[in-house]
Amino acid sequence: MNTIDGSDRHVKTDTAPPPSLLAIVLDTNPHAWAHLSSSIALSAALANILVFINAHLASGNANEVAVIASHSHKATFLYPTPTPPKPQVRHGTNGDVDMNGVDDYKGPQAAENPNKYRAFALVESAILKNFAKLLAETTENHLAATPTTLIGGAISLALAYINKSSMLHAPTAASAESMSLASLADSENIHIDRVNLTSRILIISVSGDLANQYIPVMNSIFAAQRKKIPIDILKLAGDTVLLQQASDATGGVYMKPDRPEGLLQYLMMAFLPDATARQSLVIPNAGGVDFRAACFCHRKVVDIGFVCSVCLSIFCSSVLPDNLCLTCGSYLSLRSALINPPALIPRKKKKKRKAGTDSATPGGSTPAGSSTPLHP
Amino acid sequence: MSASSSIQALEYLQGLPLHTHRKLYEAPSTVLAVFRCMLPHLAKSIVMAMLYMPSSFPAADLEAWFKPSARGEREQALSILDRLHILTSKREDDRSLSYSLSSGFQRSLRQAIEGSGTHRSFGVPATKAESGGKRLSIKFLDQHARAQWEGILFFMVSGAAGFEPGSVNMDVGPGTKKLLHAGDLVRTVHGSPRITKEGFSFVLQETNAQVWNLLIVYLKMTSDLGMNETEVLSFLFMLGSLELGQDYSTSTLSATQLQMLEDLSSMGLVYRSSKDSRTFYPTRLATTLTSDSGALPGSDISTSDTKSDSKAQNKGFIIIETNYRLYAYTNSLIQIAILSLFTKLQHRFPNLISGKLTKESVHRAVQSGITSAQIISYLTTYAHPQMQKMNPPLPPTVMDQIRLWEYEGERVEVTNGYLMREFEFEKKYRDCAAYAEALGVLVWRSDEKRCFFASHVEQISAFLKKQNEERKK
Repeated sequence: MNTIDGSDRHVKTDTAPPPSLLAIVLDTNPHAWAHLSSSIALSAALANILVFINAHLASGNANEVAVIASHSHKATFLYPTPTPPKPQVRHGTNGDVDMNGVDDYKGPQAAENPNKYRAFALVESAILKNFAKLLAETTENHLAATPTTLIGGAISLALAYINKSSMLHAPTAASAESMSLASLADSENIHIDRVNLTSRILIISVSGDLANQYIPVMNSIFAAQRKKIPIDILKLAGDTVLLQQASDATGGVYMKPDRPEGLLQYLMMAFLPDATARQSLVIPNAGGVDFRAACFCHRKVVDIGFVCSVCLSIFCSSVLPDNLCLTCGSYLSLRSALINPPALIPRKKKKKRKAGTDSATPGGSTPAGSSTPLHP
Repeated sequence: MSASSSIQALEYLQGLPLHTHRKLYEAPSTVLAVFRCMLPHLAKSIVMAMLYMPSSFPAADLEAWFKPSARGEREQALSILDRLHILTSKREDDRSLSYSLSSGFQRSLRQAIEGSGTHRSFGVPATKAESGGKRLSIKFLDQHARAQWEGILFFMVSGAAGFEPGSVNMDVGPGTKKLLHAGDLVRTVHGSPRITKEGFSFVLQETNAQVWNLLIVYLKMTSDLGMNETEVLSFLFMLGSLELGQDYSTSTLSATQLQMLEDLSSMGLVYRSSKDSRTFYPTRLATTLTSDSGALPGSDISTSDTKSDSKAQNKGFIIIETNYRLYAYTNSLIQIAILSLFTKLQHRFPNLISGKLTKESVHRAVQSGITSAQIISYLTTYAHPQMQKMNPPLPPTVMDQIRLWEYEGERVEVTNGYLMREFEFEKKYRDCAAYAEALGVLVWRSDEKRCFFASHVEQISAFLKKQNEERKK
């Protein structure tokens, strides 16, 4: 009889983990992959990543995946296949045309392979096709133009996609259907905690020299931090400054494997567990994080810089045109900063020695302050 | 939810002997289905981490990988993997324990997620010549599946709900009837089917759980029918990985599987245009066997708008007020029949019936073997969306009262299991009980008497054996 005291009224709580969305940002910078080709080729890496994606999809029935290529001249979706932008002209029955187009597109490409689980086959063929398209589009001019990759844009795309999918997930189907039946007035009461999507971003990075995108990447990091989306980093090559901060700020995994050949095992062990599993696992992270920032004027990583007091922009040199901040345009004279070196540690020492003289300074200034009321 | 339905399947799977598991794990589709649906979340992480590991995984490393606070979850995941014979543990030369995946499972899972090999276990789509060029719509398949399945349910409840046999359409095949009898869901009394206690709990379950329930009965019958259990199981798992609305060829199926196809089509799991058709279509009942897309609300909406009318059937339609009045927006005879099992129905309108939960009606239900938990879970599952917004969906007074009415009659709850007692000394008892608790099999313990009661004993006996060995050294 003791069990009927109302304490165990929840008949059964569904313990199934929430579906998880994995957005993979794949750095496809041709220069960097060419550099890496001796240890792991891009094709091999892609094959490993496809296996990893299948493993992710298999880990939960409602799991989803998105793959974004951060190429040298553009960032683009590899999966889901981006729908080609339609001209904005609207004729009467235009609404359905878009849908039909997609269906036609999907129909023939669905590989009927009896050796492969269909859900996997669909994702795989779409990724391979879009990837081949991306490579075919890359011209020599693109390659010559820049040695780096558009990681900032790719992360933004991933964040936007995650945001969109979580909005699609948040109002549960049950409550969405009840909207028609139930009065719309109390729609605020609808539970949004039923099927919430847990998302994460995995960046597989090979390029160094990302400091020139410091501002967009940092903005994305803060957006991810706010949305509680962990950013996992798998750094196969290149310097680490910026992305290390990304994983540190968002609580993601950071790994810089010594042997890129073992990519798949790294992926399977460290990056596959989703947020639910990570609660009970020890996740690897960067031991010491390099918190250095890049300056806003030359995109150089600086140890000591100058900061605008209004907008907090960072500059590497004190010589600014017209003494105006480059970002916000407010008056900013850095000359005084040059005369008094801003180093902190020596000043501490001085404080101790000059204890006596320090006390004299306020003493000297107080009469001047107190003298003001006397004048009128 | 699939959680409850796959638990039954999991329990059944765990009971199978090692050599059956071995054979079962030869088919990649089976392995993938077991991985996707049967394993707990952490077990999946462990399996995936080990899948491409070149050497075995030392137990100490595995322990270090988990946070100390997650010890219980780790033990639970490992014990399930062990019971399914997915994980094998081995003593290394330096006496340290290490784990590795059983080779068959590892090979098949690799093939499944790589899509390699030539096993053709994910279903062979019908060729143009076989399918005859015309495909059936998903809507038609849904209708077929629902008609068949509701026929079975109706056959079961018709006796208890007082419908005249033959008053409604219930074309249940002789094979299915036999199956229902074998599972002791229905007994024949005076020539008419009479539902049993197990039958009631069956009817009140969710569709996905019902399908699994019936299939497990089917599996247990296979040896009597002279069928191979592993072949049956792997065919079922293959069905779960097929695509709805696609026709598949029967040319690669074995004789056992062809016979199964006939049985399953009478249950509505697959559709065949005729008995000797060379193709078959899986219906939604089959394709959702190893996923919860059908059971989870809405995860499937984007892919099919045709489901709307069958969804309307399964969606919540019951409203209960705190004064025990019940309103159900339904005109389905089967739902009315089920409700009448524990409700005193009063009015019937074209789209609504109203009634009241009374002491007598609940007592009657309890006497015929329905438990309060079943009534509550049924009412919760089918609660109207308006009520789903509340937490809990049912009024607490009603839930408590239903329980109280049941407890008036019976005050004993039965759990099958094992009593562990006569421990030689206190520490052994405490270690063992703590281990059982970590596994989640501990039901009751008494520290004074140094005994405890556990629902499963295999792991504990292995644990005791290990401890004894260690002491001897």
